[in-house]
Amino acid sequence: MNSPQQLAEVLTSLRIGNQSYLIAFYEQNRDLFARWARRQHQLEPAAAHALLRTVLVDFYDQVADGRLTKLPPDVRAYVYGLADEQLRSATTTEILPEDEAGRRQQLLRLFRQLGLDCQKILMYFYFRGYNFEKVAGKMGFANANVARLQKATCLRKLYELRTRTATGNLA
Amino acid sequence: MTPPAFDLRPYLEELERFADGQMTTAEQAAFEIRLEQDAELYQAYQAYEQLTADLRWVAGHETLHQRLLALDRRLDQRQEALTRIRRRQRKTQQQWGGILLVGVLALLGLWLILRPAAPNAEVAWARYYVPEAGLPDDAVNERRRPLLAEAMRQYRDGHYAPALHNLRRVPSSNLGQDTLLYYSGIMLLSQEQPEQIRAAQPFLRRVAMQSASPLAGRARYHLGMAYWRNQQITAARNTLRSVANDPRNPYQDAARQLLRSNALPQE
Repeated sequence: MNSPQQLAEVLTSLRIGNQSYLIAFYEQNRDLFARWARRQHQLEPAAAHALLRTVLVDFYDQVADGRLTKLPPDVRAYVYGLADEQLRSATTTEILPEDEAGRRQQLLRLFRQLGLDCQKILMYFYFRGYNFEKVAGKMGFANANVARLQKATCLRKLYELRTRTATGNLA
Repeated sequence: MTPPAFDLRPYLEELERFADGQMTTAEQAAFEIRLEQDAELYQAYQAYEQLTADLRWVAGHETLHQRLLALDRRLDQRQEALTRIRRRQRKTQQQWGGILLVGVLALLGLWLILRPAAPNAEVAWARYYVPEAGLPDDAVNERRRPLLAEAMRQYRDGHYAPALHNLRRVPSSNLGQDTLLYYSGIMLLSQEQPEQIRAAQPFLRRVAMQSASPLAGRARYHLGMAYWRNQQITAARNTLRSVANDPRNPYQDAARQLLRSNALPQE
């Protein structure tokens, strides 16, 4: 996966939400990365695996946000560099001063406060692009209308969480 | 953090129905007209669009996060299963190794118990050596050769050193040279001391080489036995082979028996 054309294809597929490249990357590099992290940073395997996951999600965010417009020629070296940077300075998008990054990170934190079913429904609908019928099938709902109502409820919950947090912060 | 710019709640249901394509054609057309005319509705629509764009980002981020977590769990399980299999294989190998070791040790023990006992030199000598009987009394003629008679008596009684001493005192005119040499060799050999055995060899060799002497064949046998006793295996084997091949030699059978046994190591 090294020719410029292939790298461009990876970038495009990541932008449209095809995450299989990163999943495969994790599967192929997890143990290798853990050995590197143990040698370089004395990290235990479980911590190294968690770090690689964080870095890959961060990498994905960079692509999805449009912060990364060109895939680096050596993705592995780039990911290792991100991990190195993360360990040295613990800088993540979470503390980026950008309004957008802050807003999204806050929404992410609130999203994680939702129930698992709500998280799944919203991920199916807003990320995977499933229609209500498919969401109903995946979630075991009686029909598409139930799925629509559930999605609406979950979105309302998330919005209300955000409103409450914003009010709390202002007060 | 930026607070929500606009309270969406009064508009949320309607905006969702519009965005999710749930409106009828007439409803949608009417909603689109209202969007153009109602500034608040338009503002709500903008806020809703931003919220759903953010939510798409969050959903993508979280989907990848959860997929990676699930993959991680799967890989951990696979790793554990592989480790378990390897551990089981190692255990089985160790068990078989242990069984093999016990088997080998048992066989070794069995062999140690049942192995043929190493031939003991003394026992073999006692078994295969046929000693010289000594000169008979009538041949000795005591009145003429008292010293020889005394020597033979001492020889038969097992007093080999005094017997040899007396033998050497017998005048050479009174006894044949080959007889004197032969019995000197026999008496030295009978003392069973390494030095005496080596000393016996020249006497016996000289007699054995005197083909005209009636004692030559007997001397050859005792010479072969002296070689054997002295661990000169090749010389012993060759000498005893010539005894075994000589039908006139009184020790032919004794030599054959020794050659057939494993007491005399193979070359």
